[in-house]
Amino acid sequence: MQTVEVFRAPAFRLALAFCFAVSAATAAAFGVIYLQVSNADVQRVSAVLVDEAAKSEGDSDEQLRRALELRLTRDIRRLDYVALFDASGAKIFGDVPAVPSIPVDGAAHIVRQQLLPDSSGFEPALFVARQRPDGAVVLFGRSLREVYDLQATLLTVLAIALLPTVLVILAIGAFFARRASMRFERIHSAILRIMNGELHSRLPVGREGDDVEKVARAVNLMLDEIERLLDQLKSVGDNIAHDLRTPLMIARAKIARALDEETDAEILRPILNAAVSQIDRASVAIAAILRVSAVENGALGNRFTDFDLGAVCAEVVDFYEPLAQSKSIEMTVDVRGPAPMRGDVDLMREAVSNLVDNAIKFTPEGGTVRVEAETIDGLPRLAVSDTGRGIPPQDRARVFRRFFRGDGDDVPGHGLGLNIAQTIANLHGFQLTVEDNNPGARFVMAPMAKASLGLVRAAE
Amino acid sequence: MAISIVDGSTAPAPQRGSDPRRASVLLIEDEPELAEEVRLELEAAGHSVRVAYDVDEGLRAARSGWASILVVDRMLGSADGLSIVETLREEGDSTPVLVISALSSVDERISGLKAGGDDYLVKPFDVRELSARVEALMRRRGETRATRLQVGALEMDLVDRKVRCGGLPVELLPREFKLLEYFMRRPGQIVTRAMLLEDVWNFKFMAQTNVVDVQIGNLRRRLDPTGQRNYIVNVRAVGFKLDADG
Repeated sequence: MQTVEVFRAPAFRLALAFCFAVSAATAAAFGVIYLQVSNADVQRVSAVLVDEAAKSEGDSDEQLRRALELRLTRDIRRLDYVALFDASGAKIFGDVPAVPSIPVDGAAHIVRQQLLPDSSGFEPALFVARQRPDGAVVLFGRSLREVYDLQATLLTVLAIALLPTVLVILAIGAFFARRASMRFERIHSAILRIMNGELHSRLPVGREGDDVEKVARAVNLMLDEIERLLDQLKSVGDNIAHDLRTPLMIARAKIARALDEETDAEILRPILNAAVSQIDRASVAIAAILRVSAVENGALGNRFTDFDLGAVCAEVVDFYEPLAQSKSIEMTVDVRGPAPMRGDVDLMREAVSNLVDNAIKFTPEGGTVRVEAETIDGLPRLAVSDTGRGIPPQDRARVFRRFFRGDGDDVPGHGLGLNIAQTIANLHGFQLTVEDNNPGARFVMAPMAKASLGLVRAAE
Repeated sequence: MAISIVDGSTAPAPQRGSDPRRASVLLIEDEPELAEEVRLELEAAGHSVRVAYDVDEGLRAARSGWASILVVDRMLGSADGLSIVETLREEGDSTPVLVISALSSVDERISGLKAGGDDYLVKPFDVRELSARVEALMRRRGETRATRLQVGALEMDLVDRKVRCGGLPVELLPREFKLLEYFMRRPGQIVTRAMLLEDVWNFKFMAQTNVVDVQIGNLRRRLDPTGQRNYIVNVRAVGFKLDADG
């Protein structure tokens, strides 16, 4: 990823804003300290000077002069300024050549550019000028050089302290921004791949466990489902195309041939009949396909009533018995007591019918089809077993897929019956599985385990 | 044909031998070719047919009171044909309505019947199936609550659950009795496989099976084990008909 993008990333901007906020807060805190410290110094010096000027009021000129001289001699660091001017402003005594341009009011004033006593330069100083009763002016002053130096040092220290704070925050911000940005970049490129048709691609998922991760996981689950549906749709589409095209093509061919060659009505009739039955085949395929989606789209539960699954089994067996008899198949129904359940009785009848229909189709003459219903732990359970050729283990998961036909299946059908039965079972919170009946197949419809039922509910 | 249970005295005289009544069918269908096929089929069955191609035209024609049966397509361009049925029912019109639709879900079927439709047929359908349904709707009003049915040589006692054929008792399994009762309530009427599945066995879907034919075959043998007399005849490819007369 390019560096520029890191700085454009929202995460980085956020870090930057955070950095500014922290810096500003730190600077403000330092500023307050700085102002407090520097002001305190100036305040203290001012107070001393004002006090001294006030005290000098009562002194005679001689006393004052001695006091001032004493002060100057004691001032080893050359920080003090003292001077006495007569009423005309001429210097009588002291180390200040002229009265600085400050009001003569006994209050402290800062003079930014005071000429040093040895005239070697200027420095900031604090002065108090006070008028004596005879019109003379006494001046007390103190250099602010040390105070200002201290202030400058403090400022430098503060600046030096703030800089690393800012740099550290910026670095952390850039780090997280870059990480987040790279993560989003990976997600983005995964999305691009998926958009470009790589439907098996998934969003990258790590171990962060944060909100982005949760969303990515949810999106991946959604993609799993979409991919599954698309796969299903594709295979359904392929199969529909086959199931519809083949009969339509045959019908078309027959009609076209009849148009070209035959004029005798007696010869035309069987050809046209054959064409019609091919079109009927296509119609039945459409009806069966629509049936699957109708069941799938059926609003769950809005037509649910209480009924006895055992009674439904008995009804279905009664309906199919003549067909079984015509194939010399023995059909038994074993209903141990009522098996009450809640559901859509029409759909359940359809599911049981599809299982029985399937069993009769695949059972050879002289075989047996057995329908059982019972209640185990208060939950209904249904089994339809036959003595047909059974379902090889590798096909057991696939038999429920749409349009599944066993290898070399010569039995007529659309491969939708078991799919419809399973869809109906799932709608009722049941699971439809197939096992070996030794010989033959045994389809069992039983309530899903609570855990997996929860999953189904959550997925809805 | 001797029909003791159907009160046909007020109905117009049948035009053809097998049609006890002649229906005036108003077909509301926006697809001209389908409308034409349905019209030809219904006319061949002896009914008169008028076609309306949209909701307004259909409603006008229905209000004229000419039709004894309405056949309404649900999808009329962008409009729902059910609105016609609802309007007519609100106006107190109780003419039987057969709704035809490409919408096949149970919910659609229920909403079709709730709106006032008397029967619901899903596309694609065989026009002969539609013709049989129209005939069934025409006869629905004549259904009886009698406890004894008699059609030709067949007699059925619904209380004792006994059947006699030509005066001789016939032993029937309960499912065979139920099936025969359905036919005896509709003598001479074409009964389709779909109608039997829906009405006799409560299957709200078309089972892809020949169970119906096997059941009919069994019933035929019960009624006449010798196979000389066929009381339930096949009608073209669409279904069956009770033919109990001599």
